[in-house]
Amino acid sequence: MLVDRRSLQNFDWVLLGLVSMLLLLGVVNLASAAAAGVEGGMADIVRRQVTLIGLGFFVALVAALIDYRHMERFGPLIFGAALFLLALTLLVGTVTRGAQAWLFEGSFQPSEIAKIALVIALARYFHQRPPQIITQLRDLVTPLLITALPVGLIILQRDMGVALLTVLVALTYLPLVHIPLRAWAGVALVGLAGLAALWSFGLKAYQQSRILDFLDPSRDPLASGYQAMQSRIAVGSGGLLGTGWQEGTQTQLRFLPTQHTDFVFSVLAEEWGFLGSTLVLLTFAALLLWGLWIARNSKDGFGAMLAVGLVGTLFWPAAINVAMVLGLAPVIGVPLPLFSYGGSALLSAAIAIGLLFNVSMRRYVF
Amino acid sequence: MIFKGSDHDRLSSANEAPSELRLGLIALAILAVFGLFVLRLFQLQILEGADLADRSLRNSVRTVRLEAPRGDIVDREGRVLATSRPAFRVQVIANDLPDGDVTFPVLGELLGRDPEEIEKQVGRPTGRRRFQPVVVEGDLGYAARARIEEHRYAMPGVVTDMVPRRDYVEEESAAHMLGTIGQIDAQQLGQEAFSGYRAGDVIGKYGLELGLESHLRGRTGGRNLVVDVAGQEIDVIEEVAPVPGGRLILTLDLDLQRAAEEAFRVKAPGNPDRMGALVAIDPRNGDVLAMVSRPAYDPNLFAGGIDASTWASLTGDAWHPLRNRAISGQYPPGSTYKPFVALAALAEGKIDAETTVYCPGYYRLGRRVYRCWKRSGHGEVNLAAALRDSCDVFFYQVGIDLGVDTIASFARRFGLGTRTGVALQGEAAGLIPTRAWKERVRGESWIKGETVSAAIGQGYDLVTPIQLANAYAALAHGGVHFPPRLVQRLESWDGQVVAENPIGEAKQAGVDPVFLNQVREGLIAVVEGTPGRPGTDQNPPTRTVQGTGARARVTGLSVAGKTGTSQVVRLDVVESMAEQDIPIRYRDHALFAAYAPTEAPEIAVAVVVEHAGEGGGTVAAPIARAVIAQWFEKKRARERESEAGADVVQQQAVVHPVTQSERP
Repeated sequence: MLVDRRSLQNFDWVLLGLVSMLLLLGVVNLASAAAAGVEGGMADIVRRQVTLIGLGFFVALVAALIDYRHMERFGPLIFGAALFLLALTLLVGTVTRGAQAWLFEGSFQPSEIAKIALVIALARYFHQRPPQIITQLRDLVTPLLITALPVGLIILQRDMGVALLTVLVALTYLPLVHIPLRAWAGVALVGLAGLAALWSFGLKAYQQSRILDFLDPSRDPLASGYQAMQSRIAVGSGGLLGTGWQEGTQTQLRFLPTQHTDFVFSVLAEEWGFLGSTLVLLTFAALLLWGLWIARNSKDGFGAMLAVGLVGTLFWPAAINVAMVLGLAPVIGVPLPLFSYGGSALLSAAIAIGLLFNVSMRRYVF
Repeated sequence: MIFKGSDHDRLSSANEAPSELRLGLIALAILAVFGLFVLRLFQLQILEGADLADRSLRNSVRTVRLEAPRGDIVDREGRVLATSRPAFRVQVIANDLPDGDVTFPVLGELLGRDPEEIEKQVGRPTGRRRFQPVVVEGDLGYAARARIEEHRYAMPGVVTDMVPRRDYVEEESAAHMLGTIGQIDAQQLGQEAFSGYRAGDVIGKYGLELGLESHLRGRTGGRNLVVDVAGQEIDVIEEVAPVPGGRLILTLDLDLQRAAEEAFRVKAPGNPDRMGALVAIDPRNGDVLAMVSRPAYDPNLFAGGIDASTWASLTGDAWHPLRNRAISGQYPPGSTYKPFVALAALAEGKIDAETTVYCPGYYRLGRRVYRCWKRSGHGEVNLAAALRDSCDVFFYQVGIDLGVDTIASFARRFGLGTRTGVALQGEAAGLIPTRAWKERVRGESWIKGETVSAAIGQGYDLVTPIQLANAYAALAHGGVHFPPRLVQRLESWDGQVVAENPIGEAKQAGVDPVFLNQVREGLIAVVEGTPGRPGTDQNPPTRTVQGTGARARVTGLSVAGKTGTSQVVRLDVVESMAEQDIPIRYRDHALFAAYAPTEAPEIAVAVVVEHAGEGGGTVAAPIARAVIAQWFEKKRARERESEAGADVVQQQAVVHPVTQSERP
């Protein structure tokens, strides 16, 4: 039996409430964003998003019902399968917008699944070697290798945004380990050297240009700097209460090519103002903190570690996306989880949420 | 089965669970990040947002894209072929239209158009689309523009602006080489190579506009405006100026180009202009001096977005005016092919300059009879005479001796049958057949009779005008030829050199100069004829003989060339018809290829006149002559100028010692 009565009694209504609220606000906001510049009009995209949410519900249900301790047992298998998919993408994947990251005619992005698989693999590792007994840098070599495998494959697909995200998800575990600060200073030095190497050899010209544009937005206001500038103006014109749904007078939003995906938060900020967007941000923060609460209350180390990693998979894209929209980070094509339009991101968020339910429901099951 | 033992789990979980302190650290980090976001929102929306709100509650910010003018394309002497000029646009923003019939009646009156038609054009956009300006007039004349500006306040919702518009100053001239522009299509927009483009952006579609798009394009600027209720600009918040596109300096000589295009025109009223192509190349470096394709079109038609009916009439035209025949037209070279057959025969030792063949007006191979173009025959002809008179029988005989593969290998050494690599899309390869080719493509073995056709550039043989020009440039330049060069260099809009386009790598045909000279003697005779000799004891006097290409003669200049007439259909289809009864598309092509001056060639020209109905010497030679004459005139003018300059220098040199001698 997959679920027993106690799991249902411990159903996590708080998590359900927070997720439902974000999804609902997301769809309403998407309806407005899509009404503007997207061909095919509002109905089509909104209908597709609602269908995806329905699909996501079943995915989450499956992720919630299979006891997560099975996932610990099958962790290596899941991880291996994800790596296989990534490698397959390299061989047969279609090229979309410069990154060879999509399978099945561009409808499915294995790197999203790989993030979850990585979290399962890392959680399994940190269950066997709890982070509080990790006191030396060399203890991190194994998790580093575990992370490097999918990241390496993603880099080979030339999808630097997702590669960065995957690294960040792994970094979520770092505050848990007990390694002295001076060791980190050394790591920081190596890291800087690595970044310099990445800049010169790993980044394409347009990616370098995006970062330079961020550092100096007037460099090219119509390239990626343009998006950032437009986004800031849109956000700024929202004011306290916003312009109202579908009433964003800031016509320049039309110039944002990805306003229903990567820049969806700027539509929200413009039309819902400071209050509306703060509400969404707080809901998001509450969801993440609740994820940590689930980690704290988990009945075993694997569940705790799994929850921490899942919080990471939700936190990092959200942070990067909002920072980008608010002009605090360069333009990186990362969607806002649960909010942006898009299949793969939504499905991976659904798995993450489902697994959080999974850990949460079984907190008292012994 | 799931649990290994609950006791063990419970015990270990106490150790395994991360400490609350460390989880708290993560929670704190999350809170800090989201707190930062809220602060940033506060800064952007409340602190800076109020700034905007103060100006006017109903004012709004609007971003205007400042289009960069496309770079100029100029000829080798800096004369402008394509530039950008400001075009005055009238647009309507539906959102800013007042209630009631205010704007459209006034606008209609001022533009002299039906108000309802304009209203229909603008439509009733909803949602965010209603902020999108709809272009009502894309390129308004000066008078109408003044009227509009004067009454702008009577027409809320109307905005005007200036955008750069492509202007092909010389209209049809060199149209195919310059190419066309148009709006970027949806498929391109999805590709990363075009990530800098937005829907509606102008992009090169054809010709140099396509090939050098990245250089010509420039960089779009932007301006954030505060506009009032009527959509009028109140204040500029920030502006980034556009950077104009770079200049393109061509190898083309506009004088030669014009002369060539003029030569295709038929003066007699009621007659259509000649169709075909011309390419003029500098044999010393491969520079393309002129490139003509007729019929042509006016690229300005595309500058503001071409309308459907014009587009349909251009693409539906049976004679394909949009096609660049100079590089993609494939024609049987006809007799212009003979010099290469002659070179093959000389190099293979099948003939020497003195070898003669008797031409009775036909050539018999097995049971088939092949005619010479001159039914009465040429009599005894040597190589020079065979070239001069374009005797077919001489080359039938030589061709059979050589075999098709040897002929093909020599033709290929001069670049025939392969793309020259000119920097334009759509270049055709032509075809120089071999036995192997026919085996592979047709699955049949080569017939000897086909060698007879191939020897006079008929049958399967196909060349493009640019190949032909380049091959004759090689004949002229000791067997050396270059990939044709269209662009000398790229400059930025303010004249800084961005890149030089070096002369291409020279290719050697590898033919003995002695043989080359023997063929060239024949080519000179084609144009200049063979001068008569006074009789001696051994030899009777000879009369001066005119060459087949005499119409290419330019006084004061020695020109070499070769005529060609290529059949479009088999002879028996049209043989019985009178010339004027033959349908145009069945009529022969006329060709002429030439170079000059023969002692040190500086220009090579190839001309194809499609369906001329007359021979190359009659129709095509005068066109080549026009270009060569124009070139010669410029050369003499330059020489006169530098002589005048030299005179001044000499005078100074003379004067100088005199002053010295006077001094003591």
